[in-house]
Amino acid sequence: MSLLRSYLKVAAVRDGRAQRATTVRHVHLADAPLVFVPLRLAGEAAAPLAAMVGDDRAHPHLLVVTNPRNRDERFAFMAELAEVVVSYIERFTTQVEMSDTRTPYERCLDAPQILVPNPAGVAFTRLLGRSTRFRKIEGPHAVPPRVPLLGRWLTFLHDRSEFADSAMLLAMTGLLSEHWVTGQSAAEDAKLSTQLAWIDPPHGLTGAEAAVQAEDPLRSPPAGPDTDPGFDHAVLQPLIGGYGVTAQLREALHEQLEPTWNDMWQAVDLLRPLPEGASVAARWERDRAALAWHQRWLTDGGLPQGRLDSAVAAARRLATLEAAQQSYEANRAFDDPLVMADYRAAGVAFAGRVIAVEADRKITPPGGKRAVLRPLVSVRTDDSVRLSPGTRLLSPARPKQKAHLESVEGDVAVLQLNGGLGKGTTLPGVGEIICYADLDPEGHRHPSLPDLADTPWTHGGPPAEYVPTDEDAQEVWS
Amino acid sequence: MLTLRRQIRAAAAANDHVRVRSLRAELREVERRWEEILEPPTLRRPPVREHVHQVLTLLGTPSAAKLIVTVDEAFFAGLLSNTQLTSLRRDEEKSFRASPNARPYYLCAALTTERLSPVRGLLAVSTWPLPQRMIGPLSPRVDFLLATIRIADHVRRIEPSAVALRLLTQLAQNVPGATEGYGPADPAAVAAAARAELDVHQEKDRRQRAEAAQRAAEQLPEVKQLFGAGLRTAARSA
Amino acid sequence: MSGLDTWRGPNRLDALRGPSKPVDHNARSIAALAANPACQRRAILDAAGIDKGSTIQHLGYPHQFGQSPFALARQEQFKAIVKAHGGAHILRLLRELLHLSVEEAGYHNVEDAADDNGRAVRHRHTRTVLRSAAEQPEHAATLFDDPLLKLNVAGYDVYLEPDVIAFQVGRQFHVVAIKTFAVVDGQADTPKVSAAAREAAVYVHALRELFSSLGLDPARVAHDVVLICPKDFMNFPTAALVDVRHPLEVLRRQLERLSRIDDILDELPPGLSLDLRMEGKTPTRPAAELAAAVSALEARYAPECLAVCEMAYFCRAEARACGSLEALGRTVRDDLGGLESIDTAIHLISGDPVCSPEQDAIATRLQYLRRLHDEAVA
Repeated sequence: MSLLRSYLKVAAVRDGRAQRATTVRHVHLADAPLVFVPLRLAGEAAAPLAAMVGDDRAHPHLLVVTNPRNRDERFAFMAELAEVVVSYIERFTTQVEMSDTRTPYERCLDAPQILVPNPAGVAFTRLLGRSTRFRKIEGPHAVPPRVPLLGRWLTFLHDRSEFADSAMLLAMTGLLSEHWVTGQSAAEDAKLSTQLAWIDPPHGLTGAEAAVQAEDPLRSPPAGPDTDPGFDHAVLQPLIGGYGVTAQLREALHEQLEPTWNDMWQAVDLLRPLPEGASVAARWERDRAALAWHQRWLTDGGLPQGRLDSAVAAARRLATLEAAQQSYEANRAFDDPLVMADYRAAGVAFAGRVIAVEADRKITPPGGKRAVLRPLVSVRTDDSVRLSPGTRLLSPARPKQKAHLESVEGDVAVLQLNGGLGKGTTLPGVGEIICYADLDPEGHRHPSLPDLADTPWTHGGPPAEYVPTDEDAQEVWS
Repeated sequence: MLTLRRQIRAAAAANDHVRVRSLRAELREVERRWEEILEPPTLRRPPVREHVHQVLTLLGTPSAAKLIVTVDEAFFAGLLSNTQLTSLRRDEEKSFRASPNARPYYLCAALTTERLSPVRGLLAVSTWPLPQRMIGPLSPRVDFLLATIRIADHVRRIEPSAVALRLLTQLAQNVPGATEGYGPADPAAVAAAARAELDVHQEKDRRQRAEAAQRAAEQLPEVKQLFGAGLRTAARSA
Repeated sequence: MSGLDTWRGPNRLDALRGPSKPVDHNARSIAALAANPACQRRAILDAAGIDKGSTIQHLGYPHQFGQSPFALARQEQFKAIVKAHGGAHILRLLRELLHLSVEEAGYHNVEDAADDNGRAVRHRHTRTVLRSAAEQPEHAATLFDDPLLKLNVAGYDVYLEPDVIAFQVGRQFHVVAIKTFAVVDGQADTPKVSAAAREAAVYVHALRELFSSLGLDPARVAHDVVLICPKDFMNFPTAALVDVRHPLEVLRRQLERLSRIDDILDELPPGLSLDLRMEGKTPTRPAAELAAAVSALEARYAPECLAVCEMAYFCRAEARACGSLEALGRTVRDDLGGLESIDTAIHLISGDPVCSPEQDAIATRLQYLRRLHDEAVA
């Protein structure tokens, strides 16, 4: 699925600015997202150095660790971060409604949305969660109560972020490249400032010119979590652990973070006016339900997330992730003709005018006794169709009406409708412009995996619930 | 100061070396003044060589600076730092060359059994028997086990500090059968486990060291027995 | 390698570099070179030991490959912990991982014996030590710290910075690589593990070459590498075996594909110089002149270069100036296969007549994409 993106890349170079890859916004954008720009000390796994965080662009919180190798300072940082992040999340967890579904479930009225600059920021968020969620709030090495809570929330948000349909923790570079195609390579798009330069170049500059400027680490410091080695060498090193330099260090880190902070809000401004895709609200609803579920787990005294998934849990999770991915991709295409165009370019979808409908056709299916209604629809299309007869197809116009491809001859594709033909449904009419695709927005393929209790011995047998040990709580941070 | 650093970085990025140099000078001056205001008065230098001697006597094996500093912190005054130890061996050699054997002991080198050249980073005591200062292939392991035993025994004799217990636990992690799981190590168990492995290596190591020590005694002048042979000398003598 | 090469080559490469001190290869630079074997520019700059960082800066591009002093300090610190006490941690890990017997505890620091006598001496010493270890394992040490290896790259021998330990267990030699990225809950960052595997493969390859040259069986060097990293968020070392057969095979193939340096040198304009004309720390060569000289070396730019080569920004500007499709990434190049430049693609999109019959198919495809796009946004 790249042909159309390649076309758009060429167009972006031609026009000197990024091209829209969608006609709508496919991701929920919160009214007040929490922007989180963390920095870590180079060479360390999870030693925070600084962060700019907040949901008010005019008043970011600046958190700084004056000596990142000092354990107490790290926890002080985590406690400060917990104040901001946990308070933000708790604004949403307190307001809950019941669904009006057959089996009612709780869901929050709204959910938190944390935006980080890039996938590395998401990964760092996971590590921050991992390094704090097992901490104990009493005894030796005690930490403030909100620190382990922060760890559990960050872990939860990261776990959710692996689902394609979740929008509670997002990397901005990914969000932008989902909606725009720039005139630079994917490797270059990984840098937030250059991607923005292509999407919204300053007046009088082409995207390419603006991107070159935005590559300069002196102008646009890296969006983290890794800092610019030049900055580390010339500015940070003399200040870290120094004597009486806190104010200077804060100023230096403020300077490193602020451009990215502004970029993040500029990106929010660019995404905000895009109309929301039709299925976005339903996806956000799943996030709201997941949030309520996790809040319930915390309230009921559930244990923190374990270190490792058991074999079945891991396989189950992988299958669910894949299903979510497929469903998300199908939904995007059904919500957006520009996304669908990519599938048409690949020949797995086509659009055209209905030229004939055999509405009353009845056939006796193989093995069946009674003749059943199976209308035929003929579509004339200019698209090059690369689907084999028998492929199941759906149309965004009537997603409940199941069809399969009967034949393709020349520029005419014939489909047989197999379901969704009951009362109150309509058939495609002659002259209608219609699109069919080998996509199913509801196509969750549930894997047949054993229950956790029946995990085969080859995969370790039924997993014990992960109970954090003292070792987890006291793990010495280097 | 930050503004200056920023300018230095910009100048460095622009390859303006002349400006970098002048800015650096300016920065140093500003920093010097800043430190004059802030810096606490510097502590008087402790007698480094005596501290090191004390630690090495406890350990009984040629040891690296890092271990010496940690042991000093665990059992003694804790006034040593890595940087104080870097030039120690060279200073001792200078002093010995100036007036040989004027001092009761020198902090000297350990020698490779292979070429009788100094082993990088290790400090030893001149009054030790020569074989104790020879390092053959098995000696690093043997010395590690010996030092672990010495530290375990010392921990048993005193009311150990947290640093001492942590050091013992760290060493014990790498001795098979010395610790079980998490928590501070039991010094008796650590010493026993270290002795068990020591039994495996000690005889072979002792032979290799004795042979090299004999060679050193026969071939090297006293100063080189203490501070190691240069490669050329060793190559000729090998 | 023929005697003529040794005589001719270094002279020509030294002439290219000028009086500056040559920069050494290391496993990372060889892995990077092997990642793009068609790039003659990198091949020549590396072979001649040219300081690419200073060169790119003098050409007016940022030098983005500096390492943070904190990362360097961390590497030193962790390496010291792992190697402390005669490699006590390493022995523990090898006993756990490969069931090394307790007797096998000998430690040999190759650098100790060679001291400041230069790389040739150190390499010779490495050969002697490893040969006797291979021939008489019962008398040899188990761990060999800081061996200096040599590798033939595109017809020239390069020394490999000793960043590694070799050890022998059951007549099999292994390479140990020490890295500072954390293994958290048994998992590490995949790209970092891959990069470590690619680097370790260079050492395995070099060690095997050394064995062959000693008349020993190269298969005695294992394709399983011991990777030592910090565990979770601690300073405590943990280890894993990493199978480097795949990167090893890729490396071997790519090293074969490298054009021979001498063949490239033969094609260069006579008198070509990449000298920065340093006066102290200041390059005095006019940047435009240097740029012209660098441009005489043919490059093969792809966006992947940005992560591995100091010269990438210069090469990218060059590639963009001539409208390279590859500069937009492999996918675009493959999708629009057959077009020589972005400009051609732009012409074909706007429906300009095709100038060659080969462009017919791609022109049709671009027109088709344009129709689908315009229909969708209509």
